Amino acid sequence: MRDGRAKRVVGIVDYKAGNIQSIENAFMHVGATVLRVRSASELESCTHVVLPGVGAFGFCAQRLSASGLTESLRCWALTEQRPLLGICVGMQLLGDRSEESPSAEGLGWIGGTIRRFPGGAGVRVPHVGWNTVRFERSFGTFDRGTTADFYFDHSFAYHDPKAGETIGACMHGVRFSAMVAAGNITAVQFHPEKSQSAGLKILSGFLSQ
Amino acid sequence: MTATLLKKRLIPKLLIKHRQMAGRERPVLVTTKRYSEVLDVGEPVSQAKIYEAQLADELIVLNIDGTPIAGDEVMLSLIERLASETFMPLAVGGGVRTVDDFALLLEHGADKVCVNTNAQLEPDLITAAADRFGAQCVVVSIDFRTEAAGAPKVLRCDLRQTTELDVERWAVGAALAGAGELLVTDADRDGTGSGLNIAVCKTVIDAVDIPVIVSGGCGRAEHFAEGFHLGGADAVAAGTFFCFRDQNLIQTRAHIRNAGIPIRMET
Repeated sequence: MRDGRAKRVVGIVDYKAGNIQSIENAFMHVGATVLRVRSASELESCTHVVLPGVGAFGFCAQRLSASGLTESLRCWALTEQRPLLGICVGMQLLGDRSEESPSAEGLGWIGGTIRRFPGGAGVRVPHVGWNTVRFERSFGTFDRGTTADFYFDHSFAYHDPKAGETIGACMHGVRFSAMVAAGNITAVQFHPEKSQSAGLKILSGFLSQ
Repeated sequence: MTATLLKKRLIPKLLIKHRQMAGRERPVLVTTKRYSEVLDVGEPVSQAKIYEAQLADELIVLNIDGTPIAGDEVMLSLIERLASETFMPLAVGGGVRTVDDFALLLEHGADKVCVNTNAQLEPDLITAAADRFGAQCVVVSIDFRTEAAGAPKVLRCDLRQTTELDVERWAVGAALAGAGELLVTDADRDGTGSGLNIAVCKTVIDAVDIPVIVSGGCGRAEHFAEGFHLGGADAVAAGTFFCFRDQNLIQTRAHIRNAGIPIRMET
């Protein structure tokens, strides 16, 4: 890389529940090498790991469990405390549970419950499109107090993070966490891979960890 | 406090037909007028890149040949190229028949899948797809025509015929079945530039609580503003309008912004 840092190798967890292609392309665009992680041994060559997810919470939780990767990811994120980024349902899986699929268990690495947007006058659910995120903490090149627009496509969100975990807050009828971080674990509800230049800046910020 | 800062969306619509060119079958971008009078415009991927540079909020890609998507390598490789060469959200439709077709399109880089005829024939398809992929992934496309002195009726594109199904009734049915979004298009206004059908648009939007994309008839920037202001649309999609003018999205955006509608101006 231009600044002489070691090459970033991003492992994208491939558990057949996500639009991996777009995430791969976006990380390559910001200069990373990407590989699809289907087995624990493939984590060894990674510097960063991404947990994507498109689908119902229960479907994704079941797929992740069936992939046999949960324990290796737990070791990566909790024991070794290496950088992990959850995207969309990949963020939600880091919670304890979701109203979408009450019988399914989340990983609980960030904790909390994923709730459906209540909706109401002028607030349609699903929440689809570009919405403004206010950064409550700095991340990458985004300074605390600034705002940027990102692309969202979801009906459920993380409403109750612990104090200080929210990096970016967003409003859609209720306030919810568009971006959280707890130590080495970062998660975004929006799609950075679909959010044009603002999204690519989030990915670069993650790679600089 | 503002309930939401969600922006209104401007969505170029790429209509695709399969054409035999230089001994190979290729996807060609076309425009239509009243769902007939097809005109070949050009190459879809380069057009999509122009739209991306002009801040399109999303893209809708529809195979209007209606050939089944399973096994349609021309469409699937087009979607793969669009997903790898642009960073925009992609909604893809045409020939989607099963839940596995949804999976196939998502694997090739689509973010959302549009269903039309097969959802009319089998509303359970909407429910099954929403259960597996989430409602946000399922866009039900409703084309309609208004016969003389009658209520607008849903169109069956494969048969080129209107049905007995009332537009509002089907919109409510699709939302109840689990659709996450509706794409509502007036076939009579398609490609005419005569303006959106605000009355039908408003009827549908008032009847459902999911986001609605309206389409068919945009010929001037004011038509988009009307769709948002008078119709209450969450998004306006257009094909012909964007195909034939340079820098149009940026000009159109400025016009919509000046009309007081919240819209994204930069990333």
